[in-house]
Amino acid sequence: MSTASTNNGPATRPFKTSADARTRWERFVPAFGFPILNRFFLLLVSLTLLALLLTGYREIAGLGPASGMNDKFGWGIWKTFNVVVLTALGSGAFSVGVCAWVFRRRLLFPLMRMALLTSMLAYVCGLCLLGVDVGRPWNFYWVLFPWRWNLHSPMAEVAICMSIYATVPLLIENLTPILERLWYLNVPLRPAIETLEHVLHKCFPFIISLAYLLPAMHQSSLGALMLLAGPRVHPLWQTPLLPLLYLGAAAFMSFGCVAGTTMLCCVFWRRAMDMDVLNEAARISSWIIFGWIAVRILGLLVVGSLGTAFHLNEFAGIFWTEMFLIGYGGWLLRGSLKDQKWQSMWLGYLFSTLGGMLYRFTPTTLAYMPGPKAIYFPSTIELLVAIGFATAGIAGFLLMVKACAILPATLQEWRDMTSYFTVHEPFVMWKQYLNFGFVDYKILDNADLSRSYVKTNHD
Amino acid sequence: MRTDVGLTRRELLTNIAKAGVPAAMAATVGVKAVEAEESIPAPNVPLGLLYDATLCIGCKSCEVACNEANNTPADTDAEGLHEAPTDLNVFTRNIIKLYKPEGNSPSSFVKRQCMQCFDPGCAAGCPFEALYKDSDTGVVRWEGSRCIGCRYCTITCPYSVPRFQWRGINPLITKCELCSHRLARGLKPGCTSVCPTGAVIFGPRPALLLEAKRRIKNNPGRYYQDRVYGETDNGGTQCLYLSRVPFEKLGLPELGPEPVPAKQLRWQRRIYEYFALPAALYVGLVAVIRKNLAAHEEEAHQLEKETGLRPQL
Ligand code: SF4
Ligand code: SF4
Ligand code: SF4
Repeated sequence: MSTASTNNGPATRPFKTSADARTRWERFVPAFGFPILNRFFLLLVSLTLLALLLTGYREIAGLGPASGMNDKFGWGIWKTFNVVVLTALGSGAFSVGVCAWVFRRRLLFPLMRMALLTSMLAYVCGLCLLGVDVGRPWNFYWVLFPWRWNLHSPMAEVAICMSIYATVPLLIENLTPILERLWYLNVPLRPAIETLEHVLHKCFPFIISLAYLLPAMHQSSLGALMLLAGPRVHPLWQTPLLPLLYLGAAAFMSFGCVAGTTMLCCVFWRRAMDMDVLNEAARISSWIIFGWIAVRILGLLVVGSLGTAFHLNEFAGIFWTEMFLIGYGGWLLRGSLKDQKWQSMWLGYLFSTLGGMLYRFTPTTLAYMPGPKAIYFPSTIELLVAIGFATAGIAGFLLMVKACAILPATLQEWRDMTSYFTVHEPFVMWKQYLNFGFVDYKILDNADLSRSYVKTNHD
Repeated sequence: MRTDVGLTRRELLTNIAKAGVPAAMAATVGVKAVEAEESIPAPNVPLGLLYDATLCIGCKSCEVACNEANNTPADTDAEGLHEAPTDLNVFTRNIIKLYKPEGNSPSSFVKRQCMQCFDPGCAAGCPFEALYKDSDTGVVRWEGSRCIGCRYCTITCPYSVPRFQWRGINPLITKCELCSHRLARGLKPGCTSVCPTGAVIFGPRPALLLEAKRRIKNNPGRYYQDRVYGETDNGGTQCLYLSRVPFEKLGLPELGPEPVPAKQLRWQRRIYEYFALPAALYVGLVAVIRKNLAAHEEEAHQLEKETGLRPQL
């Protein structure tokens, strides 16, 4: 095996790592080697179709018959889970992006496209379900009339910022891989695409800044939503820090979602993992987690409601479950930095993300006490619709990682992908790639890497 | 906020006169009204109700009158029989409830309807001002063409008043709007026009407050804490309550003198004041990102020259 520095092409790389070429993520490469219309995908799509059918029923019959919501619990899981929780998972474009482009953690760059895609899908699915959830969606056009915005209302901020964010900056940022695919597939279009890309790059600083400002605003406003519920939210959650903690939770949850999903994809499609990148993400994520825990405990101390965490009731139980999941997740992440086990890193992401999801969900439902006899449990239809809109996101993800270069990969895999891009039906054509892109390290070691992959028909 | 009650609107004056409130009371000035949040403009003539629980006999005439006044159908069960509602709902903007403790302690009826807060939580949270405070009467009204049906108001109202219509394709938000449509025609609200004991009366808030204080003064020991609920609670409400039993027992929470929205959204409002902070942040972000992106792009093109690979930005 040759050393990394001598054999791996140019010295300047967009992301400098010490790993050798077998594991260094240097290109974005589509997932390949599986038929998109497999059984799992069809299951996802049929769940989504079922959900769409059921939303038809909801529109005609009204929210009452279709859901478990009632006069006391005006909000159900469509808002409290699909919007409040799942868009936090989809804040990767914000959190990873801010670390990469504002705090110059350039090592994170290989995760960027993944972050952008998961964000896009989570927001689009969440917003669509929000449209189903609200009772009078036809009045949504007021979003276009700023003088009607009630800027002091967290709900207005959520509604306005979220829809602007998902339809403008997020969409434009996600154009890059799509344009790239077009560029490879459609030779006559290339000059036009290059011009468009040029224009986009000129606008990017303004668009990307908007793409960081808006989520910072609405992810915290999602927490501010429950501020107005006042004492009806249990004091372990109802603190003035609620918006900040919601934002922080979104940050580490989305790191978990982006890095965790990437790792899962690497296992699934047998790709090499770039531990330098993953370590960087885990390090940042664990610091956010520990900072978050400290802020939460300090905040509770200052407002003086930490004592309620030691009462023997379900609220204390939920509180400690959240803290344990998030803390244990952070601890696993730290541990994985030392022993370099990607498995414990993945579990760390899983635990902290689950804890964050619980934290985002609790104030809206579990710790919300609108009255002594108030109960809410989602109806079957409600659950099916919530699931259907989530599976739509997963199906969209599978489609996109196959159609576009989203997942990070080593240069070795890019050699295949260049040709992949130049044929119209690559899935049928190339039998030899059906082995999930196995890297034959022996060949790789012997080959003169700096030459072999450079020969492309790009010119 | 203005503390005097300038009856500038002739129309309103007529309405109130017709509604049978003595003009002398209506023109009361100098009543120290509660200072609402500075940013919330005070209504010209805050109208409201005064409900004296010690006078209420629980006849529920006002419930029926409210239904009639608002043209809401009777709340019926599956067999089409009339059913007494147990709480406010989309057909019931006004309800009489009974508080009956164990033992010999006094029981009390309570009339629940919208309090017409000075700083209404429902309107503070409403995204496109579908719920808004009428600048003349201070009544909190709902404008359906601006409501997106998010049901946030059912969460933000500290008294859990607004109700959402759970059935049908055109769901409405309903709450007591102080019978504004009747006031405009010079009629008293439905509930006050039928009350046989005068337990609930209608009028401009300063007058109602004077009346309440008079009752407290004339009947020492009769009222809980000798206090008018709504005088300062939640920053002041236009509907006022007198009671023998603790207000909390009647479902009127002790919220303190600071209005819930002002208290809870204090930081939120400061951060978004004039949108200055977000704008400054944006400018800073653009500067930083521009620099970092340019460096990144340059490196990518350099790499392209060396490897021949099309850059992936
Ligand atoms: S009582 Fe509730 S619905 Fe009525 S004005 Fe106050 S906040 Fe709004
Ligand atoms: S449901 Fe309608 S009235 Fe209530 S907060 Fe939402 S938009 Fe405003
Ligand atoms: S003022 Fe009108 S709407 Fe309000 S409780 Fe009385 S009758 Fe009902």
